[in-house]
Amino acid sequence: MSISVNGQSQVPPGFRFHPTEEELLHYYLKKKVSNQRIDLDVIRDVDLNKLEPWDIQEKCRIGTTPQNDWYFFSHKDKKYPTGTRTNRATAAGFWKATGRDKVIYSNGKRIGMRKTLVFYKGRAPHGQKSDWIMHEYRLDDNTIDSTNVETTQEEGWVVCRIFKKKNHHKTLDSPVMSSVTISTDTRSCNSDQMMMFDSDNQMNEEGALEQIFQYVGRRADNCKEEIKYNNNHHNTRIFQSFNSSTDMNKHMNSSTTFTTVYNDNERFLKLPSLDSPNSTSSQNCYQPLQGSDPNNFGFSNHNHDHHQTEMITNWATLDRLVASQLNGLSTDQASRQLVCFATQPAMNYCSTSNNHDDDHDNHDDHLQMSAAIRSSSSSSNKPYHATHTQDYSNEMELWSTFARSSSSLSSSNPICHVSNASL
Amino acid sequence: MGDSNVNLPPGFRFYPTDEELVVHFLHRKVSLLPCHPDVIPDLDLYPYDPWELDGKALGEDNKWYFYSRKTQNRVTNNGYWKPLGVEEAVIGRSGNKKVGTKKYLVFYVGEAPSGMKTNWIMHEFHLSDSASTSSTTSSSTRSSKRRAPKKIDTSKWVLCRVYERDEDHDDGTELSCLDEVFLSLDDLDEISLPNN
Repeated sequence: MSISVNGQSQVPPGFRFHPTEEELLHYYLKKKVSNQRIDLDVIRDVDLNKLEPWDIQEKCRIGTTPQNDWYFFSHKDKKYPTGTRTNRATAAGFWKATGRDKVIYSNGKRIGMRKTLVFYKGRAPHGQKSDWIMHEYRLDDNTIDSTNVETTQEEGWVVCRIFKKKNHHKTLDSPVMSSVTISTDTRSCNSDQMMMFDSDNQMNEEGALEQIFQYVGRRADNCKEEIKYNNNHHNTRIFQSFNSSTDMNKHMNSSTTFTTVYNDNERFLKLPSLDSPNSTSSQNCYQPLQGSDPNNFGFSNHNHDHHQTEMITNWATLDRLVASQLNGLSTDQASRQLVCFATQPAMNYCSTSNNHDDDHDNHDDHLQMSAAIRSSSSSSNKPYHATHTQDYSNEMELWSTFARSSSSLSSSNPICHVSNASL
Repeated sequence: MGDSNVNLPPGFRFYPTDEELVVHFLHRKVSLLPCHPDVIPDLDLYPYDPWELDGKALGEDNKWYFYSRKTQNRVTNNGYWKPLGVEEAVIGRSGNKKVGTKKYLVFYVGEAPSGMKTNWIMHEFHLSDSASTSSTTSSSTRSSKRRAPKKIDTSKWVLCRVYERDEDHDDGTELSCLDEVFLSLDDLDEISLPNN
């Protein structure tokens, strides 16, 4: 059976271009850099500076079947003749490298590297992160040398794969799982079932965790002073200075990602204590909400009460909790909407979902609360605490307000609206 | 067996969507229509253990595909498949019509119910009754001689995808967990701090 990619015949049903990293490097890129003919024109040349990711998608289509990823060759060009940084800006945005490069092995031998990049819309440093991800594969220098190719360094060919990041909301409320029927109660979902859905990307290697902590620790060092400061002066001027730069949108994006990542790992599911070391006299705790009294936020303030262990330890539960509080929506509907809310960059959720003006503030408060839970939860580890504090200063402000007033919350509390201004 | 009859350049492999498995392969099998390329073998109810499937079922990317008869007790030479009790609807590409159902099973070594759980997973695809009746009016005449007239016997065949769960699987086609973390940390880079 023959196929032609951009010609008449097609890839048979069920078949896709789904190369291994080894095939990409050892077959396609090796041929490319040594100017050997590649039988089929499945991997096109793309000038990364000229095409936006969504255009690449069009240009690199293979056949007519749906694709989740797209492949192309590209030049690695230098931003400055002497520099090592590469310029990957397009008209609409730019590609920015993230994380660390991964070594690609073939039969136990190192053959190349993989770099991960994210597309940001706009201009650095104010770009807006998109879901477009690129893996850029390059051959090792020695691999190239061993094939006696001399022109490769000048050429600087790399082979790339772009794809849209899936929003792995690994809770059973996510849109992906919405069509799933599970015979057991979702809350007591057994490990088998969770395993099914988390199977591919589990973070159970200590090595990976270690790497992350190192990475976080490095960044967090810069912020430790800030934390001390925060703890001592709850919501004084430091919050004011942060308020101007705090962007709800960014906040939701990042907290969503944290939710995603740490769903896998029990260790990360414990919510942090909400009080700071210096304010133990006014501890807040919130308890899992089973009921759905619309006037109750689900947060009760008990002075000198230590209920942290009973706190919600599952994001799915948390989502349901918040969802159940959304007026006039069934839990199911609401949680689905919440997922949308969390995954969409735009912050128009509040306005679109509220049909009744008189409920508006109430809803906003709920959302603020949910945001606050997430932000403070993400900070269960010290480094995160450090880095998140600035990001979520608005919520911190809310919390400190709660900490001071030991009365239970009410939707008419004017303080609740303070941070709405940033919306 | 396998993909020997499909000659594709490196990098092309059998990587079907759930929908393609149901609509193109299972549906045609059930409708007795020719399948081209005919890559998925029919293993009926042979009691193969999952690790014996290599060379018998269509193997690609450490996943094995085969047709099988529908059965309540999927027992093999050395163990059995236990349903997880999870069902997922397979939705057609065009529109939101449900074309089939995907069931999850886990392989246990030993005798039920005291077998030992393994990492072998099976996705068992079933046709929806509605899907087969509505979209195959032409082929329904063919099966009209059977016990259930006017309807294809959807109860007979299933399509199975078997694979061994790999804990640190990173084929580069998705963002690794580590990348996800790095990615989210990038957000924090961009917040400028006042220097106190």
